[in-house]
Amino acid sequence: MQTLKGQIVEQLNLQHIKPEDIGDDQPLFIEGLGLDSIDALELIVLLQQKYGIKLANPSEGPTVFKTVRSIAEYITAHKAA
Amino acid sequence: MKPLYINGASCISPQPTFGTEFPFEIKEYHGSRLACVEPDYTPYIDPKLSRRMGRLLKYGTTAGLQALRDTGVQVPDAISTGTGFGLLDDSGKFLKNVIEAAEGVVSPTAFIQSTHNTVSSNIALAVGCHAHNNTFAHKGFSFESALTDAQMLATENESIRNILVGAYDEVTDYSCQIMQRLGLIKTSEESNLDLLKHASKGTIAGEGATFFVLSPDRGAKIYARYRGNKLLYKPASGAVLSSAIQGFLAGHGGGVSDVAVLSGLSGDQRRDTLLQEVNTGLFEGNTILGYKHLCGEYMTSTAFAMWLGAMILHSRVVPAAAVLSGTPSCPQHILICNSYKNDYALILLSVA
Amino acid sequence: MKAPIYIAGIGIISAIGDDVAETLAHLTASESGVSGMEVLPSAYAGTLPVAEVKYSNAELAAISGLEPWQTRTAQLSMIAAREAKENSKIDFTKWRCGFISANTVGGMDRTEDFMKDFLADASSGDLHDVINHDSGDATEIVAEKLGCTDYITTISTACSSSANAMMYGARLIQNDMVDIIIAGGTDALSRFTLNGFKSLMILDEQPCQPFDENRRGLNLGEGAGYVVLVSRRVMDSEGIKPMALLSGYANANDAYHQTASSPEGNGNYAAMTGALQMAGLAPSDIDYINLHGTGTPNNDVSEGTAIKRVFGDTPPVMSSTKAYTGHTLGASAGIEAVISILALANGVVFPNLRHQTQMKELPFGPQTSLLEKPLQHVLSNSFGFGGNCSSVIFSKL
Repeated sequence: MQTLKGQIVEQLNLQHIKPEDIGDDQPLFIEGLGLDSIDALELIVLLQQKYGIKLANPSEGPTVFKTVRSIAEYITAHKAA
Repeated sequence: MKPLYINGASCISPQPTFGTEFPFEIKEYHGSRLACVEPDYTPYIDPKLSRRMGRLLKYGTTAGLQALRDTGVQVPDAISTGTGFGLLDDSGKFLKNVIEAAEGVVSPTAFIQSTHNTVSSNIALAVGCHAHNNTFAHKGFSFESALTDAQMLATENESIRNILVGAYDEVTDYSCQIMQRLGLIKTSEESNLDLLKHASKGTIAGEGATFFVLSPDRGAKIYARYRGNKLLYKPASGAVLSSAIQGFLAGHGGGVSDVAVLSGLSGDQRRDTLLQEVNTGLFEGNTILGYKHLCGEYMTSTAFAMWLGAMILHSRVVPAAAVLSGTPSCPQHILICNSYKNDYALILLSVA
Repeated sequence: MKAPIYIAGIGIISAIGDDVAETLAHLTASESGVSGMEVLPSAYAGTLPVAEVKYSNAELAAISGLEPWQTRTAQLSMIAAREAKENSKIDFTKWRCGFISANTVGGMDRTEDFMKDFLADASSGDLHDVINHDSGDATEIVAEKLGCTDYITTISTACSSSANAMMYGARLIQNDMVDIIIAGGTDALSRFTLNGFKSLMILDEQPCQPFDENRRGLNLGEGAGYVVLVSRRVMDSEGIKPMALLSGYANANDAYHQTASSPEGNGNYAAMTGALQMAGLAPSDIDYINLHGTGTPNNDVSEGTAIKRVFGDTPPVMSSTKAYTGHTLGASAGIEAVISILALANGVVFPNLRHQTQMKELPFGPQTSLLEKPLQHVLSNSFGFGGNCSSVIFSKL
């Protein structure tokens, strides 16, 4: 999950946040880290470029990108598949 | 149309024009590209938002917001802006990504930012302005079109009192390389302050973001009065340009002898012919000022000129570095006389 | 009261025709221009449908009379603007004439060819391909050819660009700066915009279904559309009978998000009500709404919600003609102005093609078949990135 946090910070250019500052279960959007719909698209790019996982439907985004843990779980599930 | 008061102004340019007292200390450069002196953006843009923004979006938004702050206006009644190339860096970045990924997976951010109206809409978003919002992207007429938009709005609609008008452009590595290949900019390491001293080929590339709050009402602080502008596409000769200038001045109840000229000479002898001709002909004996050696050449450089002109009229100080010929006495009226390739523009300013 | 502005001519080129007559024929026959990609050299040929003008640049140049190396954006602009001028039957030489065009990509179709070589080696790439890059370039080329150089400018406010061009043109005439303005917009398909919209995940891999519950996104299109705007003085002096009156318009900003529209459609609402107010019309006076209707989940619900706010549960007949022309971005409001004027002049509402299921958020849906009906006032919507929202109203004289 540390690697993933680093990748998120880099992809989203979160200059004011260190990867270790992001909690595993901290909400990433709105009230949490304050990410928005454009960030969701960036995270889709990240999954595809770094993990070869294609999130075909953007409407899955809110569930998958809820927290770092949910993204990690999604990666594990879809890499194994 | 109604003249408008310049009640607020802000300028980010290759000179220290932002957050400084006028006259600013002239900055000297060597080379063919002048880059903006960038301020600290944090008082203007939340770092959470600026993380996705390119350089131009940051300095453009900041200049716009500062012009509003300068006036004490929170939300303007309209926003109208001009830009020659728009957000060129993001356009180049996105195109590079698309080509390198062979049209595969690419990040959307640079594409979103690359739209020409990003700066004006970002300012609207920042201050919650739901009113008229326009962006002109037409070479040397971009800023002037926004000025006319503002002037027409103030004439048409009594409820419009404060209009945020501005212009912005940027130089990028790509654009600089391409302009050099086209022979548009010099390749020497000459000082920018010598640009207008002798005629040669090419100019220096510049950039900047300049915003004004224009109003039919006198504000608490007025820099100058904006009287109007006139656009001329490809005037056939110096005589045609001269006659248009005389007509424009007469239309505003003035004559040639009343004005100091802020001339858009670029230092490129191939492009400066007509401006030189009116400077030595029609304006013989007038004070001639220059500005492109300070900010560089770019499509919306007249916004910088309007800022400089307004500051001169307001402070009653003519920076020595701007004087090309004549006595640097304080004028009552300044006529900006510019050309960008085929686009000739006149802008008239008067003391408040 | 502002001086009235009349429409004296129209011109159009898009995937559904090279001129006004062909466009009307395809609209009436419910023939969509959305199809497989044949002209744009993109990796998405075969997967993403588009609404292309099926001519190579050389073929377009043969029609436009411009040089083959000039941008596709300029070629399309020339063809449609020239038709508008000729259609007006006005002697332009007697008047102060201007050209106000709009586009979003400028010469990007050529720049992307240039960049491929340039990125590999900064000293390579044909400079011819890049000198027409900026948005204003196409405008100047066409203005000069058409003799409309008394006022030239270009507007680029994303998908509302050409609506704002028409408004600016009308206002220049009202403020007595010119007598005649050709106004509208142009945009060519490019890999830049195709990949941009792809990265936003709002492109439909099938032909789009605007205002449908199961809509998936938009199809990009290309083309140009222009109107000739004239003052009363020009109309009387030339003894012409104009096609329509530009009776109202408004430009507003959603100020909600960079790319998305607010759920309540605040910007859309302000644009529509502003245009109605200027025209001095009540919502019930509008006979047909030419929707922005891109087919994206976000736009259509936002626009539909705003329409519900303005018109209530029983709004006028409406349709999105983007199912025919694709989303032509900077050209769309110009193209849809021409289509709206054709609807008005012929007393016909063109259907919203491929519509199957009413959206659950709305108590109404679009017109799905050709409808013959006398029309007095037509509202055309254009909303874009950056929250730029514009609406215009055309009325029968």
